[in-house]
Amino acid sequence: MQFYQLLKKIIRTGVGKGRFWMAAVGLGIAMLLILVALQVHHNFSALLYGEKNQNERADFLVINKKITNEMMGRPELTTFTKTELNDFAAQPFVQSLGVITAAQFNVKMVADQLGFSTEMFFEAVPDSFIDVKSDEWKWQPGQMVIPVIVPRDFVDMFNFGFALGNSIPQFSEETIKTLSPGIVISQGLRTGQFAGKIAGFSDRISTVLVPQAFMDWANGIYGSGAAKAPSRIIIKTKDPSSTVLADYLEKHGFSTDTEKTKYSKIRGIVQVIVSVVGFFGLVLLLFALLVFSMFIQLVIASCKKEIRLLITLGAAPRQLQGYLLRQFVPMYIVIGVLALLLVAGLQWWVSGILAGHNMFVPQWPSLAALLATLAILVLVYAVNLFSVKKHIADI
Amino acid sequence: MQIALSAVVPVPLRDKVMQQASDIWNRNVTFSPGQFIKIKAPSGTGKTTLVHYLYHIRYDYTGTIQINGQPWPSYSRDQLAAMRQAQISVIFQDLRLFDQLTAQENVELKRVMQPQPMYGPEKIEEFAARLGVSHVLRQSAATLSYGEKQRIAIIRALMQPFQWLMMDEPFSHLDEANAQKAAQLIAEECQRRKAGFILTDLDHDNRFDYHVSYLL
Repeated sequence: MQFYQLLKKIIRTGVGKGRFWMAAVGLGIAMLLILVALQVHHNFSALLYGEKNQNERADFLVINKKITNEMMGRPELTTFTKTELNDFAAQPFVQSLGVITAAQFNVKMVADQLGFSTEMFFEAVPDSFIDVKSDEWKWQPGQMVIPVIVPRDFVDMFNFGFALGNSIPQFSEETIKTLSPGIVISQGLRTGQFAGKIAGFSDRISTVLVPQAFMDWANGIYGSGAAKAPSRIIIKTKDPSSTVLADYLEKHGFSTDTEKTKYSKIRGIVQVIVSVVGFFGLVLLLFALLVFSMFIQLVIASCKKEIRLLITLGAAPRQLQGYLLRQFVPMYIVIGVLALLLVAGLQWWVSGILAGHNMFVPQWPSLAALLATLAILVLVYAVNLFSVKKHIADI
Repeated sequence: MQIALSAVVPVPLRDKVMQQASDIWNRNVTFSPGQFIKIKAPSGTGKTTLVHYLYHIRYDYTGTIQINGQPWPSYSRDQLAAMRQAQISVIFQDLRLFDQLTAQENVELKRVMQPQPMYGPEKIEEFAARLGVSHVLRQSAATLSYGEKQRIAIIRALMQPFQWLMMDEPFSHLDEANAQKAAQLIAEECQRRKAGFILTDLDHDNRFDYHVSYLL
């Protein structure tokens, strides 16, 4: 007969078995909570940053100061100072920051083909912030044709609002691109005549854009000559729903497209829930560890006489430790594997449901969940080993 | 393996020991490997205490007991376990069997305690037959008579390799014929291992060819 089989008859681990099973169930639930918290966090990140879920429009935010009643009539209050810009650009959530340059001259557009002429305005941003890729998007002094990017919303407003109401035909984007409305820019007595050319339609920036080169040149010729402080800026950010970003904007009285940042609230809530669940898991894990330690103490204490005789007869403490650990550890591993399997099943199920809503999360549990399972098992093993060692040494 | 006692005095018996003449207490004594040693001791002189000191499960003495030149306390728990599995065996006066095991399992426990047992399981049957306890092997140790328990304890002690066998009144519950059989078996097993033993008893006896005799 094997030594361990004989030990089984001598060291009864049946004492307090009920408590042991309760602790085992506690361990299982604790692991499940921790893994679920990790997995939800992971899935949320995947939804926000995953390539499949990438929402390009959300990567850029146009930001301006909120105009309050006190600020009305004092445009200098609505501009960004150099310090503000530098501070903003240094924030970790800002990947790059560009200034939207406003025109310092009047703009009038005459579109004979469309049957209207209108006062309007130009703004310019550095090319890297523009979502329209076009070869026509360039300008150099002497060029009479100015490429213009208009917001797609603008076309929709024209086609579905203005045109229908005024019995003017609707135009496709392709047709609009072939138009070349006349553009008159003026400041005081000085005027200049150009031809406009629609280079593309932007979903990202809700303004009429001209190339930065043209803007700089025109501001020099028609404007006051002095560079004006910007009142709108555009930032590129990885995570428009970041709560840190939302807090920063709030704190400085900046405003942006709230549609793009509204997820920050949901995300804040999810983060709190996930943290609470994870925290409960950890607390439960601690209690489970405590009960396991007490159980081991109980078993060893109840077999004190037998263990002492075994050691007297020459059983090595290491043999007894090995035996006791072998009684408990396989169950921990089973619990760990079960918890992981359950989470894997949940993940698979959730990924299927989310995919139906065009949201993609991995079908498999994250590496973090796997590592967490291992880490918890190692922790449980270490605590058990420590406990067994300590109580056997006490005998 | 040499066992050397120097000025060992048990703390609880200090006054008594100091008054009486003893060949062991408060002397320098060396037990050389392979010797058959008899320690004769009247009741209450610390016979069992001595065996426990030699086996290092009691520590309440002054002086030192050195094993291979090293005092007992310098051995770690693991070293101690290894020595008890392969170098020192013991038969306690109070026998110390596990009541929850059968007689055979009690012996088997000692046999398989080392990863490579010295004897196969058939040795248990063989020794039990020689000592006349074959019929109780499958009984719970709790149900055995003292004489049967003592013989099981003897067989258990012989299941492992050793250089020294400590025996504390090993035949106290046996009649002369059974004691003789047991002594015969012990002597054979010691010779087979080239091992010595230290036997404590109340009276004079001729069951072994003792090399040395002491009076405790």
